[in-house]
Amino acid sequence: MSVDRSGPNVAAGAGADLPAPPGLRASGPRSWAGIAPGVVWVMWKRELKRYGRERSQFFGGVSRTVLWLLILGFGLGAALREIEGYSYAQYVLPGVIVLNVLFASLQCAISIVWDREVGLLREVMVSPAPILSVTLGKLLGGATISVVQGSIPLLVAPFIGVALTVSSVLMAWGVIFAMGIFMTAFGVILASRLKTFEGFGAISNGVIQPLYFLSGSIFPLRGVIGGVGFLQIPEHIRQELRQLGIYTIGGGWFVELPIWIQILVYANPVSYQLDLLRYILLRFQQLPLGIDLAVTFALPPIAAVLAAVAMRRMMKQA
Amino acid sequence: MTDASHQRPAADPAAGPSVGGAPEANGPAIRVEKLVRRYGAETAVDGITFEVGRGEFFALLGPNGAGKSTTLHMLTTLLAPTSGRAEVMGHDVVKAAARVRTTLGMVFQNPALDDRLTARENLEIHAALYGLPRREMRGAIERGLAWASLAEVADRRVRSFSGGMKRRLELARALMHGPQVLFLDEPTIGLDPQGRRNLWEHVTRLREEGMTVLMTTHNLPEAEACDRVGIIDHGKVIAIGAPSDLIAAHADQGATNLEDVFLELTGRQLRDEFATVRDRMVSFAQQGGEHTR
Repeated sequence: MSVDRSGPNVAAGAGADLPAPPGLRASGPRSWAGIAPGVVWVMWKRELKRYGRERSQFFGGVSRTVLWLLILGFGLGAALREIEGYSYAQYVLPGVIVLNVLFASLQCAISIVWDREVGLLREVMVSPAPILSVTLGKLLGGATISVVQGSIPLLVAPFIGVALTVSSVLMAWGVIFAMGIFMTAFGVILASRLKTFEGFGAISNGVIQPLYFLSGSIFPLRGVIGGVGFLQIPEHIRQELRQLGIYTIGGGWFVELPIWIQILVYANPVSYQLDLLRYILLRFQQLPLGIDLAVTFALPPIAAVLAAVAMRRMMKQA
Repeated sequence: MTDASHQRPAADPAAGPSVGGAPEANGPAIRVEKLVRRYGAETAVDGITFEVGRGEFFALLGPNGAGKSTTLHMLTTLLAPTSGRAEVMGHDVVKAAARVRTTLGMVFQNPALDDRLTARENLEIHAALYGLPRREMRGAIERGLAWASLAEVADRRVRSFSGGMKRRLELARALMHGPQVLFLDEPTIGLDPQGRRNLWEHVTRLREEGMTVLMTTHNLPEAEACDRVGIIDHGKVIAIGAPSDLIAAHADQGATNLEDVFLELTGRQLRDEFATVRDRMVSFAQQGGEHTR
């Protein structure tokens, strides 16, 4: 077999003009300090389109809401009557939102592993687009998907007795968005160090679940858990507990986590994000509000810069 | 042979029309000087030197693991050289990486497309990444789709495309920003004879329009159609020249085509390579990939 260099049928099927307009010399996207709005916008839009066309992720969010909020919430809620006066379903509501955010942001971030090997990322890597803008598009995309996925449990809130107001929803979205940026950035840093990746299971079991379980999402850090229905705490004991800073509503046992779990919970940034979300939705908190705010809103910008550095490093090793 | 073959000058610069805009208006399109890339103790590219003239169609040949891809990655600014230098249209790939990136068009071995997006959406992303002016964007996208004969399926997701359609889309995309040098990494691999033929026709037309093309390939009949070929093995250029010259130079060893020359120079020993990360990801993707989560 030999290949024609200029056979008679060469022009067939290739009759159209060259894609580039004559005389066009692309000079790269316009950017200011590494931020090219056109690139950020197109990468953000790409993430949303990918999410919108893959229904499985949405149904994952619905199924987690049903499993954790309704089945576990009412199932375990039947045994544990209350936590600090809140029904168990109410108590885990912010946790289920956090769980959806963890899944949404990490799925969005981890996709760069295969995107790099068999997807669009190599095209992005040889383009003149600034890496900071590419990373920002990714993080904003992950955060936006997190808000959508995090809103699924929020829709159920009124049915489990959590009243939503416009301001509480807006504030919750703000926290979810900040958390989405942070977790997507964390996922990007993680993914940039993964050589290969053959299934989301390892991330789900090895990253999402520890962060979720060790955040105070499904059990309180300390406090009184309402136990058996007939066991009522006498008023004078309540008074004493109140003086110790422990409020009891209804009856129950005082619980305190083992010290090693406490250490892990306090070291987990998700604990503070969750605590802030719970404060917004339930007016109940277990950690200092100032630290909650600092962790939730100061970490994302730092993580975003580190994610861009990680992306740059990863590309240099392509 | 080895040394003399290095010295062969680039093809006549007058062969292709000057595209202009570079510091040296008549310098070679690609200049590689003593380029080295090491990974730890392993040397993937071991001091290679070659030039590709403007408007030339150049093929880089070599067995698996010879250093072709590493060379291509350094030329496209994806990988920093350990030492030595390389220029594309007079721009240094390290010092002027941003300029090099707008000057070249690249088609990867495995499709680098977002297969959940449509053909048009993939081209839109490219237009934004290269900062195409807004008023030229729509026209460039439509022309690209027409050029790739994909105008009718422009709004279908790339996932439903055949290998040939994807390759055509990628080729059209690589041309959208008006590059002066086109890099093709194994462009016809995995295509059926029709797809191969069609792609070849597109590439041939680009040559006629004066585009400089550098491709890597395993397909020796295709390489024979190039102006010049460079054969790389163990990170070194072991032969370079017009295919007919290389065949003539090895005629006494009984070479009648480029394949004979290639086997003569690189030996008949099998080059077994372990699957790369990319190979594993490709097979993962073929099994359903990210959708197995």
